[in-house]
Amino acid sequence: MGRHSRRVGYGLPLLLAIALHLGLLVVSVIRFPSAEREPPNQAIVQATLVRAETATDRAQQADPTQAVEAARQAEEEAARRQQAEREAEADRQRQADAEREAALAEEREKARQAAEEAAAEAARRFDAAERQAALREQQEAERRRQEAEARRQREAEERRRREAEAERQRQAEEEARRQREAEERRRREAEAERQRQAEEEARRQREAEERRRREAEARRQAEEEARRQREAEAQRRQEEAARRAAEAAQQSLDRAIAGEAEAVANARQAQEAANGFINLVRRAVEQAWVIPPNVRDGATAEVAVRLGPSGELFAARIGRSSGDGAFDRSALQAVESAAPFSELRELPASVQRQYREFNLRFRPGDIR
Amino acid sequence: MNDAMSIPHLIMNASGVVQAVMLLLLLGSLLSWVVIFQRSFVMRRARRAHRDFEDRFWSGVDLNELYRETPPEQETLGAEHIFRAGFREFNRLLPKTRSPQAILDGVQRSMRVAWSREEDRLNLHLVFLATVASSSPYIGLFGTVWGIMGSFQSLSMAQQATLATVAPWIAEALIATAMGLFAAIPAVIFYNRLSAESSRMLGKYEDFAEEFHSILHRNLQGRGDAAAD
Repeated sequence: MGRHSRRVGYGLPLLLAIALHLGLLVVSVIRFPSAEREPPNQAIVQATLVRAETATDRAQQADPTQAVEAARQAEEEAARRQQAEREAEADRQRQADAEREAALAEEREKARQAAEEAAAEAARRFDAAERQAALREQQEAERRRQEAEARRQREAEERRRREAEAERQRQAEEEARRQREAEERRRREAEAERQRQAEEEARRQREAEERRRREAEARRQAEEEARRQREAEAQRRQEEAARRAAEAAQQSLDRAIAGEAEAVANARQAQEAANGFINLVRRAVEQAWVIPPNVRDGATAEVAVRLGPSGELFAARIGRSSGDGAFDRSALQAVESAAPFSELRELPASVQRQYREFNLRFRPGDIR
Repeated sequence: MNDAMSIPHLIMNASGVVQAVMLLLLLGSLLSWVVIFQRSFVMRRARRAHRDFEDRFWSGVDLNELYRETPPEQETLGAEHIFRAGFREFNRLLPKTRSPQAILDGVQRSMRVAWSREEDRLNLHLVFLATVASSSPYIGLFGTVWGIMGSFQSLSMAQQATLATVAPWIAEALIATAMGLFAAIPAVIFYNRLSAESSRMLGKYEDFAEEFHSILHRNLQGRGDAAAD
C-alpha cells in the first residue's frame, strides 16, 4: 500500500494556515466599512428635524446692554454736569480776578494822578514865588535908583558905598532867599517823595495782601477740586459697584434661569428663559464634547435631540452627518453625557413643550 | 468604527515593541495553524491506515504473505510497522533459539521499540502547539502592558486627560492581547484534541501489539507442544 507509506508534507498545511489568516484579516477589514455605510440611511429615515435653528441668546443680551447703555449715559450726564460746574466756577473766578485787577488799576491810576497833581502844585507855587521875588526886586531897584538919583549929588562916595553895601545886602538877601527857596523846594520834594514812598508802600502792602488772598483762594480752589474729584471717584466707584452687582445679578439669572422661572410671568420673559435653557444645554454639551483628533475644519454635524418631560434624554440622533464617523459619534456622546437637562422642568409650561425637541449643530471651530 | 480606530490602522500606528510582539504572535499563530493542519492530516491518515490494516490482518490472510506484501525498504506506519517489526524479529529468532520465552521476549522488545517510534511520530510538533497555547497570552499581555505604558507616558505630556486621548493608545495596546488570545485559543483546543487522538491511536497500537503477541505465543506454544510430543 504505497498510499499509506507516503509522509504528510508541510506545504499544504502552510498554504491552508496562510489562507485562514488572510481570510480573517480580509473579514476584519471589510466588515467594518460596510457596517459604517448603513447609519446615514437610518439617519435620513429617522431624523426628526423640529427646529432648524437653535434660539440665540440675543434677546437675553438686549437687557444687559440697555442697562449698560443707561448707566453709561447717566455717567456721561454726571460728568457733563461736573464739567459745567467746574467751568462756571472758573468763570466766576476769572470775573473776580478781573474785578480785583480793575480795582487795583484804578487805585494805581488815582495814586499816579495825585502824585502828578502834587508835583504840578509844587511847580506852580515855585513859579509864583519867583515871580513875586522878581517883582520885589524891581520895586527895590526902582526905589534905590530914585534914592540914588536924589542922593547922587549928595554923596557919590556914600552912594557908591551904599550901592556896594546894597549890592552886598541884596546879594546876601538873594543868597538867603535862594537858600530858603532851595530848602523849601527840598522840603517839598522830600515831602512828595515821602508821600510817594508811603503810597508805594501802601500799594505794595495791598498787592501782597492781594497775592496772599489770591493764593488762599487758589488753595481753597485746589481743595475744592480735590474734594470734587474724591466725590466723583466715590460716585464712580458706587456706580461701578452698582453695575457689577447688576452684572452679578444677570449672571446668576443666567445660571439659575430656571430657578426664577416662576417669576418670569409674561411671554417675553418666558422666551428669554427658554433661550437661557438652550444656552445652558449648549454650554453643557460643549463642555462634555470631546473633539476627536484629525477633524476636518469644515465638519458640521447636526444632532436631533428629543427630551422627556423632566429633561431626560429620550433620543439623540445624527440629523445631518458630517461624513466623519468619529466626529458624529463624539457629538452624540457629548449630548448623551450632558444628558439630564433637568432645567427643562423649571421652564414655564407654555414653552416647555416646544423645547422638548431641538437640533444642536456641532462645528469644531465653535469651540476652538 | 471610523478609519482612525479600525484594526489595521491601529496596528500600523502601534509602537515598535508592540508591533514586534504582534509580529511574533502572528508568526506563532501561523505556525500553530500549520501544525494543526499537518497533524490533523497525519492523524486522519493514520486512522484510515490502521483501519485498513486491521481489516486486512483479521481477514484470515497468512501472516507470511502479509509480511511479504510490502517491500522491506519501504517505510511503514502505525500498526503495520509494529507488525512488521515483530514478525521480522520472530522470523530471525525462530531458527536461532528453541526457547519460546526468548523468542517472545525479543518480539516484544522489538514491537515496543516500533511502538515507541510510532508514538514519537504521532506526537511530533504537538509540544510546539502546547508552547504556543501557553505562552502567547503572556506575550500578548506583554505587548499590551508596553503599549499602555507608552500611552500613559504620552498622557503625562497632555494637559487635558480625556478618554479620547487615551482611547486610541489603549485600543492599540489591547490588540496585542487579542492577537495572543487569537493564537492561543485554537492551539489549546487542537492540542487537546490531537493529543487525545494520538493517545487513542497509541492505545490501539498497543492493543494490536498485544493481540499479535498472543497470536505468536499461541503459535510457539503449539510448536513447542509439537516438539515436546
